[in-house]
Formats: sequence, C-alpha cells, structure tokens
Amino acid sequence: MGKQELIGGQEMSDVRTCGRTTDVRRGMGLYEKLNILTDAAKYDVACTSSGTARKSDGTGIGSCEQSGICHSFSADGRCISLLKILFTNECIFDCKYCVNRKSNDVERASFTPEEVCTLTMEFYRRNYIEGLFLSSGILKSPDYTMELICATLYRLRRQCNFQGYIHVKAIPGASPELIRQTGFLADRMSVNLELPTAESLRALAPHKTRKNILTPMRLVQNRMEENRQEIQLYRNAPRFVPAGQSTQMIVGASPETDYQIIRVAESLYQRFELKRVFYSAFVNVNDDAALPAKTGEGPPLLREHRLYQADWLLRYYHFRAEELLTEEDPNFNVLFDPKCNWALKHLEKFPVEINRVDYKMLLRVPGIGYKSAIRIVKARRLGILDFADLKKIGVVLKRALYFITCSGRMMYPTKIEEDYIARNLLVAGEKLPAEVTNMGYRQLSLFDDVNFSAPETSV
Amino acid sequence: MKTVYVCNDTVTGIFSGIYDAWKSKKGEEECEIALRGMLSQQLFCDYVEVEETEHKAAAVEALIKKHLGRRAYWDIYHAVLSADSKKGDAVLGTMLAARAIPDSTKIMEHLSHPKVEKVFELSRNVGGEAHSYKGFLRFRELLNGVLYAEIEPKNQILTCLAPHFADRLPVENWMIHDKTHRMFAVHEAGKKWVILWGEEIDETVLEMVSDKEEEYARLWRGFCRTIAIESRRNPRCQMQHLPLRYRGKMTEFSLY
Repeated sequence: MGKQELIGGQEMSDVRTCGRTTDVRRGMGLYEKLNILTDAAKYDVACTSSGTARKSDGTGIGSCEQSGICHSFSADGRCISLLKILFTNECIFDCKYCVNRKSNDVERASFTPEEVCTLTMEFYRRNYIEGLFLSSGILKSPDYTMELICATLYRLRRQCNFQGYIHVKAIPGASPELIRQTGFLADRMSVNLELPTAESLRALAPHKTRKNILTPMRLVQNRMEENRQEIQLYRNAPRFVPAGQSTQMIVGASPETDYQIIRVAESLYQRFELKRVFYSAFVNVNDDAALPAKTGEGPPLLREHRLYQADWLLRYYHFRAEELLTEEDPNFNVLFDPKCNWALKHLEKFPVEINRVDYKMLLRVPGIGYKSAIRIVKARRLGILDFADLKKIGVVLKRALYFITCSGRMMYPTKIEEDYIARNLLVAGEKLPAEVTNMGYRQLSLFDDVNFSAPETSV
Repeated sequence: MKTVYVCNDTVTGIFSGIYDAWKSKKGEEECEIALRGMLSQQLFCDYVEVEETEHKAAAVEALIKKHLGRRAYWDIYHAVLSADSKKGDAVLGTMLAARAIPDSTKIMEHLSHPKVEKVFELSRNVGGEAHSYKGFLRFRELLNGVLYAEIEPKNQILTCLAPHFADRLPVENWMIHDKTHRMFAVHEAGKKWVILWGEEIDETVLEMVSDKEEEYARLWRGFCRTIAIESRRNPRCQMQHLPLRYRGKMTEFSLY
C-alpha cells in the first residue's frame, strides 16, 4: 500500500470530495483506483491510435504513427493500444445501459490530473501503451468535468511534454470554448452518439439529447475545417484534433434494424466527416425494465461483426448503405458477410475478368480486399495475371473463384447460380462466427436480432 | 557453369555478394547468392567466397536507390533482413528483372515475377514482425535508470526498431537486446543509436530493476486483466493477434 501512495503523489484532492463514497474510500491506492476506473471504461470501444503521424521534437517523450500500433491484446481479443480509463466514474446522469449510472451502487473513484499524467508517462516509457484514452462520468456538471479533462491534458502536454497519442471524449453539453481548448491538446476527439435514433436516446438516456450530442460534433467538424485553412497559411499553426473525430453507438439495446444503423453511420460519415463510427455490442450490466431482458446468450457479437464489415464496405469499398440492405430486408444475413451477400444477389454482374475489370468492380468481388485490388491493378500492367499469381497477391481464392476469370477461364468449371455458389461457399469452410456454428438446435434469439424474421439464406 | 557467391548473412555481406554477381554480368540462371552457414552443396557449380566491404554495399545501395527508387529499396532492405536463406537470390533476381521492364521504378508492382514476388513476401514478413515488435516490446527500468528490453525475433529487425524508439524516447537511455541474433541496439540520451554485435552482457545487472519498476508492472498487469470484458472472452482471437512467441517477454503475461 505504502508504495502505491508514493506513486500517486498527492492522493486526495478537492476534486473527489463531492462524491457519495468519498469518505469510505479515503485511503484508496492507485492500484484500486486504476482497477475501478479501467473497469468502468472497458465498454468504450474506440481504442485505435491511428490517423496522425508526428515525430518527436527531441525534448519530450512520444511520437505517433499513421497506422497506429497495438501494444497488447486482452483476453477478449480486443487490442490494447491506449491507456483506456475514466477520469471519474461518479456521474450525475442516469443512462439505463451504463454501468456508471447514478442509481447504480458501484464503487466510485476519481483520478487527479497528476495521477493520470504519472500513469501515462510511466506506462509510455516502458512501451506498454501508445497513448491515453480519457473519458469520464459527469461530475457535478458537463462544464466542470470538461474543465478537469482539459486541465489534465494541458498538464500532460505542457508540463510532462508528452507527444504521444491522446484520444479524449467531448462531454455532451459542455461549453464550446472548453471543447475547442481541449481539441488543441488531443489527437482524436469523440462524442458518443450512444444510440442510433433520437427516440431510443430519449428512452434509455433521459439526461442526454440528440441535440446535445450533435452540437459538439458539428463544432469539432467546423473547427477542423478552419484549422485546415490555418495550416495552409501558417505551416506551424497548432493542430486541432489532427486524427479526426469518431463516435460510437450501442447495438442491441434498442429496437433499430441494421439498415437504420448503417444509414445513420453513412450520414455521419458524409455530413459530419467522421473518421470512424464504432459499434458496441450491448452488454447487459443493469437490470432495467427498459432494456432487453438478459437471455444468457451474451452480447450480440455476430451482429456487431456484420456491422463492422458493412462499415468497411462504406468507407473503403465504395458501397452505399441502400445497396447492402433495404427497408424490406433490413438485417444482415447470418451466414454470409455483407459483400458476399451482395455478390450472391447480383450474380448477373459476374464473373469478371481479372485482367480487365475496373478497380471499383474489383473491389466488389468477394475474396478480394482493397489492398489486393490495388496490387492487381498495378501488377496487371506489367504482365498477365493467373490464379497462382492472385493467390500470392493475397486474394482468397476459395471465395473469389466463383466470381472471377483469368484470361477468360474460370479456375474450376462452376455454375453461376445463387444456390450452387452459396452451398459451395458453405461447404468450403466459409469462416463462420461461433454463434452460427454452435447454433445447433437453438435458433437465434429475439435478443440477438430484434426484428427477427427467417433469414434469407437460400441454402 | 553456374557460379555461387557465398557471403555473410548481413546487409553488407549480401550487398557485397550482389555487387560481385552484378559485376560478372551473368544472367539470372548462371549465378546464385548463398549464405554462409545456410549452404546446400550442389554439383556442377563454382563456389566463390565474397569479400565483404563497405564500399561494395554502398555501391549496391546507391544503384538500387537510383534506378529502382526509394520505395523499392525499402522493400529490398527489409527482404535482406529476413531469416530466409534464398533472400540474396530473390533480391538479385529482382534487380535483374527490373532491367527488363520499361520503367524500373515500378518493379515492385511486377508481382507475377517469382523473384519480385519473393522479395515482396519477405519484405512484408519482416515489416510485419518489426511493426508487431514496435508494440509488443517491453522495457523495464534497471537500477541505473536505463530502459532495457529483450526480444526474440525471427528476422534481424533491430535496425527497423531503433529509429522508431530513438524518435519516440529521445531523452532516455535505452537498450534493446536481440537474443536470437545476439545483437544490441543502444541509445544514449540525446545521441544517435548504435548497433553492437557479439558483446557479452552481465546478466546480474539486468535482473536488478529500479524501485518503482515492480509497482508499475503490477499496475499494468492489473490494467490488462480488468480491461477485458468477461462476456466477450475470446482467447482464439487474442492468439491470432498476439501469438504465443511474443508473450514470453511481455510484462502482462509474465507471472513475475
């Protein structure tokens, strides 16, 4: 214990004296605090450190890589790149899905800015982390919380001279000036959309409004645009949120369909110029009548997975939301990924000739990713490509073979027929998520798929 | 008759071998670069010991940068660091193939050529391992304040890691120990990093860590345990991203 207090520096500050549990936990060490505030932050999904490249200036610690770096992987298979913590888990809001809602009886704790800085610097030196992810419960008021976060970042950047990655949450309802100030200290900023529609937000997060969430998002977007022009004029102008902004929404806590969700994501990308939208499979931590009942099946991971796949199709593969799903068919296929599903429904466009077809169509072939597509386009200028070459380039032939020809020949004689291809893809060990392979006698539950109707698998 | 150029498994060695082979003006079929120690004897060929010099290596580097471009050099350099025994041959083949296409700077796009494809594959492999270690490498603070890390990579990636950490931790004294190849990258605060070969190190010094080291290691282990969501447990996914071979030297997987 003695050692921990030593590291924590001053171990209590006035910040914490307003909480309900403060008196009880007066002697809390850094280890316990870190434990509580990590536990409280773990449901946040955005743990990337990408989007900005920065060299160190030689006087402080830290640099950023464009691609981001994963430093570890936790037992749930998610990457650990940033020190993901809440500043405090004391909260005046009562969001029904959140483990830190004010009506929950959980252990509360708050860091001091010094503690966050020490932890970040010491972890960073040892190459444990790529930077800091700082979020927070709402302490007293949005402004008060935002100010604390801003003060922490200021200290980390200016006093500790930390030049690594910082991802910070903008608190909905905080004053624009504070958000602006914080944005100059952070690399990425995000405001959580929480739920896809305004109605769900009203039902599950009574203290948050759609307007309060979208306002800071728009603010960051506009400020980034201004900043781009400043940088054109003055090369050394300070950077505002250089890695862009992101958001996240919870999937499976409210009755939206997949179609609604990706439409929302698409409009966020187009209208708010977000870098990423993250989807978080709903983990039921509270017993609340407004939430879907606990079924013992765990979070809807397959649904989350399909949404991420669709998200990639929107961002890198030139797909539009309405191509993937429609009002009539609003949920993703359980058995096939969205791209495969699209291809099976549009067999009239296939097979395509690898040595001739244009880049955008190449992107739509199952088994060809955007990197392989670029390689194919470049390599075919210098020679005719064959199936063996494609394999080396990185194409997944066991999927692609039904949709492509090389020099006019298919790999094996196949029928261009939906049933035939679907059956073969499944037999060829189409990588199925555990939920489907383990399905056995048990059908997907209502919890897993809110608007459940028999999936159109055509198998 | 085929000539086999035998050289050391270092960048200088392999580039020297390529220099000699290139000078001989032989075709792709008539020469081969082999590595000392990884040699499989063949019939009907000449074995030539390559004399390793800095001059030859610099000449080959300049040749590649000038004619194939910096990006191709990046791929070739990474390929040469690989653990593959055929790497010298692949690089030579790629350089020869570059002469046959109209624009030599586009050589790395010519993936239907087997040698180019090999260089591409090796470079990707080495680059991938180097990138992984940028994240998975763990420093510990020794009693004298030096940050010390041990790694066991398959490829010789120290020269990829050192610039990264020199940029990231310019004000620290640190050292990375490549146990597979017995090499060290050493950085003194404010100075340039250096690579050391064949040095011996006193193991007892490495076991003595600073006062706070154990505490931060404990905090980090606690963090890694807590951050996982129990209902999403997925060890296979974890294994895919973070194979066991990296874990031996990682703080969060050691049971102290």
